Amino acid sequence: MGGAEHRLGLLAAAPLALVLGLGFLAPLAIVAAFSTMPERVFDLGHAPDFSGYAEMIRQGYWRSLLRSLAMALTATLILMVLCWPLAWAMARIWRRFTLVITIAVVLSLFVSENIRLFGWVLVLMKGGLIDGYLRHWFGVGVDGLLYNPPVIVAGLVYVYFPFMLFPMAQGIAMAPEDARAAAMDLGASRWTVLREIDLPLAAPGIMVGALLCFVLSAGAIAEAKLLGGRSVISIGDDVETAFTYAQNWPLGSALAVSLIAVLGGLVAIGLARVDLDRIMGRR
Amino acid sequence: MADGAAAKAWPVPAPDAARAPILEVAGLLKRFGDFTALHSVDLKVREGEFLTIVGPSGSGKTTLIRLLAGLEAPTDGAILLRGARIERRPANQRPTCMVFQSLALFPHRSVAENIAFPLKIRGVSRAARRARALELLDLLRLPQSYADKRIQDCSGGERQRVALARALAFDPEILFFDEPLSALDYRLRKTLEMELKDLHQRTGKTFVYITHSLEEAMVMSDRIAIMRAGRFEQIGAADEIYARPVSRFVAEFMGEVNLFTLEGRAGGLDAGPLQIADGVSARLGLAAGRRATMMIRPEGVAVLGPGETAEIMLEGRFHDTYVLGSRIQQRIDLDDGRFATVETLREGRIDAAPGAPVRLGWPLARTHIIAEG
Amino acid sequence: MSADADLTGPRRGARALLALYGVVVLAALYLPLLAVGFASVSKGRYLSFPIRRYAFDWYGEALASDTVREIALTSLKVALIVTILSVFIGFFGALAFARYQWQGRRAFQKLALLPIFFPQAVLGLALLMWFNALGILPSWKTAVVAHLVWISPVTTLIIAIRAYSFDPALEEAARDMGCSTWRTLREVTVPLLAPGMVSAGLFAFLLSWGNFPLSLFTLGVDATLPKWLYARMVSGYTPLVPTVGMLSVGFSAGLLALGLAALGLRGLARRKAGQARQDI
Repeated sequence: MGGAEHRLGLLAAAPLALVLGLGFLAPLAIVAAFSTMPERVFDLGHAPDFSGYAEMIRQGYWRSLLRSLAMALTATLILMVLCWPLAWAMARIWRRFTLVITIAVVLSLFVSENIRLFGWVLVLMKGGLIDGYLRHWFGVGVDGLLYNPPVIVAGLVYVYFPFMLFPMAQGIAMAPEDARAAAMDLGASRWTVLREIDLPLAAPGIMVGALLCFVLSAGAIAEAKLLGGRSVISIGDDVETAFTYAQNWPLGSALAVSLIAVLGGLVAIGLARVDLDRIMGRR
Repeated sequence: MADGAAAKAWPVPAPDAARAPILEVAGLLKRFGDFTALHSVDLKVREGEFLTIVGPSGSGKTTLIRLLAGLEAPTDGAILLRGARIERRPANQRPTCMVFQSLALFPHRSVAENIAFPLKIRGVSRAARRARALELLDLLRLPQSYADKRIQDCSGGERQRVALARALAFDPEILFFDEPLSALDYRLRKTLEMELKDLHQRTGKTFVYITHSLEEAMVMSDRIAIMRAGRFEQIGAADEIYARPVSRFVAEFMGEVNLFTLEGRAGGLDAGPLQIADGVSARLGLAAGRRATMMIRPEGVAVLGPGETAEIMLEGRFHDTYVLGSRIQQRIDLDDGRFATVETLREGRIDAAPGAPVRLGWPLARTHIIAEG
Repeated sequence: MSADADLTGPRRGARALLALYGVVVLAALYLPLLAVGFASVSKGRYLSFPIRRYAFDWYGEALASDTVREIALTSLKVALIVTILSVFIGFFGALAFARYQWQGRRAFQKLALLPIFFPQAVLGLALLMWFNALGILPSWKTAVVAHLVWISPVTTLIIAIRAYSFDPALEEAARDMGCSTWRTLREVTVPLLAPGMVSAGLFAFLLSWGNFPLSLFTLGVDATLPKWLYARMVSGYTPLVPTVGMLSVGFSAGLLALGLAALGLRGLARRKAGQARQDI
């Protein structure tokens, strides 16, 4: 059936390939092209002079990029620690509770993140859920919970929690159950089993989750805007400003390309060795 | 250390029934909710013996071995290792090792790393670990070059050996085996059965093995324990169980067998289709109302020529021949719808047409009587 | 197996802690929604906790508002179109992803995943520039395209998961009995993948309905609920914000409940039919 399946495969792939080609690859290519154009032009008919990149360095936008990457990295590391016990329990211990948690977490994804982040604003703001009730009960409140870098990281952790939890749980589930029992039988303590067996065998899942969280949070804007106020400008925010208010497409493109280059490189390295068929359960 | 060919000399104590058992199970009970997997079983394992627990699936043997290995705790009862109670001790605190059905090799580690793992966690130095891993590769007849091979690149038989090597690495007192050969093809299984038996003799360790395959058990073990529905039916040497089973279940489990119900009557003996000589009936001495089962193995049944008699005789019609290789089994239909099986070597087979009348007979001495409780 | 009996897993105390941790995480997950809920029933114009006076006034106002209705309709329009298109694309995409053995499959798999591993805000901005460069005015139509770019891979994956456990022998048998490719697709493939398609459709609708980053940049002058809410959050805050937010969430929840009920009923009907057949 080789030839026929080959044709069928191509045919079936066509719709998605078309959508992604026109809606994903093409825009990115255009952005890349614009990043080479002279300042403040709106068409590609000029000689490339990479002024967008020059401006990026001159004006210090690269700092913005680094800050975003740093916050993304922090959030990802925090998420790895936070999610591990839960993912482990979901994959190895619980049955019904795993289902409950899965449904509850998936449901939260359907609520747009600005509403959820707004909710956190209501919780953390002056006169908000925490401050208001503390004042009401104890007479003293807490202030300054919002509009600082840590709360932005907290927001990233909150929003991208499911994107670490599920891949991690899947990675743990894929590790053979017997290997743990065998390791214990051979004399390993629980901690040794964790270090020598659980973590290495769950590595593909952890990798996918970490990549996903890092990539998504590096380009996120809502957390910085809603929770962080003006304390930190994320790189995404800078790109937005360049595209809209500043009307400087080449600059915005240069910023975007820099971000995408970093993220793209990471994804390429990280996903290169992951076998998608195995992760998704091909028999 | 020793040269490649000679394996390390292990002290080999002979299984001695008189000494205290190395492992003892007393009143072991395991319940899963409403379901009782083990009904207060008792067992004594002698040091250095190869004991196989055989039974159909669901008989509780897997539960038992997991309790012995320390992967689960019993609902009640005790497990004693050299007199010390260990039933609540987790597996990593027991000086025993289990070879899992799936082998449970660590896919992310090489062959040598797998084998040396128990030594690594006991703080043995890298050089010593490596040396020991190579030693064990020798013992298990794997080439030294396999040390850095990936597990995925090893064949089924090779993986078995790696699993065995790993289990022996830290010198456990007892090795448990959870049906490790069941997934292998016939040829490989036969080879490994021989090797396991050989390994047992060379290392002198106590092996407790579970399987559903009787054949495997018979080939390798010193003693066999037949398990059914959470209880031991019979424990003994293969020979013993084969010739003198204590129940119909064991008799049938041990292979093709002819079973006939005997019932004591006031005037004599009701033996169904069997014709038993008078004197023999008296020797059986079955009281009125009591029942027993007469067991005769197919190889004990003889075909009677015209005019020949035997202490116990049976008439039937020839049905068919089944060639089993070196042995031939032939089926004789009886009047009441059942059939008897006769087994002979190739030369001794019955030469008859289907439906032809056949007379079978055997002496009482070749039978075994199973009392009904 | 009771928790006590497993000697290889965590001990009793550790298990209790883990369960507690799970509960805490769930609570933290939904705390902000709780806050929004509270805010939506507060009577006063300026929000502060604890809420002094409760009223459902804002709900009334929200439901009566023309603006809100129009925006909700736009959200609905976009979500419905995205759902239908993305399930269609996802169906074929899943077949290419998981079912057929063809040369470009591995590359296709990686391509299909790229939009998921990409920050949505950046994608939205790239699309904005793309549309502008093409001379297309951003509107709800361009938002549909933007949503499709992100959601089609998601539906593809969801249906692909189902396609992975698909026994190719079923299609081969149909073909063996004389079905053409199209017929096979209709009679065998679609029914087998149908549950996956329904889940994917539900996912697609809910993800589109609640999508924020893409909608923000590609809607142009049109607005969906998330975009409108965001605009009001950063300037021009009105107490309608939490209210409309809760209404939007409520709609999602209601739809999800309907979807699950439909799936559940279908499963039930199947089982009943199966039993009836067995009784015969």
